[in-house]
Amino acid sequence: MTARTDPPRPSQPDGDDELLPCGRSLAEVWDLREQEKHDPHLEGCLHCRRAVDELAVLETSVRRLREQSSTAEAYDARALTHRIMDVVRLELRPGRPLPLGEPDEDLWIMESAAARTVRAAAETVRGVRAGSCRITLERLPGREAPLIDVRLEIHAPASAPLQDLAEQVRRSVLTAVDGTLGMVLNGIDIRITDLLDAADEPGEGTDR
Amino acid sequence: MPLAPEQAASAVGEDRSDTDDTLLVVRAAEGDEEAFAVLVRLHAPTLVRMAARMLGNVPEAEDAVQDALISAWRKLPEFQRQSTFRTWVYRIVTNRCLNVLRARRPVDHLDAADQVAAPEHTVSPARIAESHAAVDELQTALTALSAEQRACWVLRELDGQSYEFIAQAVGISQEAVRARVFRARRSLTQQLGAWR
Repeated sequence: MTARTDPPRPSQPDGDDELLPCGRSLAEVWDLREQEKHDPHLEGCLHCRRAVDELAVLETSVRRLREQSSTAEAYDARALTHRIMDVVRLELRPGRPLPLGEPDEDLWIMESAAARTVRAAAETVRGVRAGSCRITLERLPGREAPLIDVRLEIHAPASAPLQDLAEQVRRSVLTAVDGTLGMVLNGIDIRITDLLDAADEPGEGTDR
Repeated sequence: MPLAPEQAASAVGEDRSDTDDTLLVVRAAEGDEEAFAVLVRLHAPTLVRMAARMLGNVPEAEDAVQDALISAWRKLPEFQRQSTFRTWVYRIVTNRCLNVLRARRPVDHLDAADQVAAPEHTVSPARIAESHAAVDELQTALTALSAEQRACWVLRELDGQSYEFIAQAVGISQEAVRARVFRARRSLTQQLGAWR
């Protein structure tokens, strides 16, 4: 992202331009400088040279101010993050409650918490990163406890055999839904929404 | 004005984080507040730096970023992802800053700038640190810009953003951004006394 990548400047709207005594517009002279374009007129024109010199004086001060205010690397965002998250946690969007265990247990888990467990299970598979996770209830006739359907979107490593990988994710999610959540999985729909190049792949499956 | 190498490098780094953001944004939109906390930690330092440049001080910048990110959490389910998360939150923070700048009464602010600048000269009457004096002058000159000029100028000159990015962040055309940056530069060169 540099000045050179900008498309050519369209003409300035009326009223913003100012003509130098040589007849050229100040905006045009400064713009050529910003784009680092060769300006043959400049060398022979005292007025244009003065205009450019005055911009250069400003640029020197701007550079110093920019250096003084480059505090992002040093800025510790922890306190601010805490303050923000304190407010966010008062306004959670946990989704719908999903029943856990047997119908008479009256035990529930919020959809967003269950989704977090599912995503973490998927990410135990090397190179997989999980995104959207939607969980819906499926009630079958003659069965009191509902089943769940999971629709999970993942980013997969481009180098992996995708069918094997999807099968590993399926197994891992099944184990987590059954073992950790104690729910019965009716079906799992895995959608690979992106393939990651080697450079983007995390080294290991994360176990969050 | 060409960018410093430090800025060019951070621009490349930000491309990478845009990819990483995609999954975190989806998760946060579905109610995963831990994913949102990661987004806050990733973006807060850059946003605070930008807002501090816009507003001239860190405490007001932190307030603006805090309000903006809380509002981002509320709006996330409707975020259509037509732009990146970074551009989207930049836009929200920029709007906050514009509101703060507009609420400042110009006359009061000029007085305040004079009062801030004065002790500096008392401490170093000989202006040993000439660069400090130049930066002080520039900061005083910046207070005379309109809120809109200042926002576009800061994003361009201090934050090193492209005109296209600024147009998205401020919500105006690229042509209007160029006009504002030009008017800001014109006003600053005049105020710095270099113009004859």
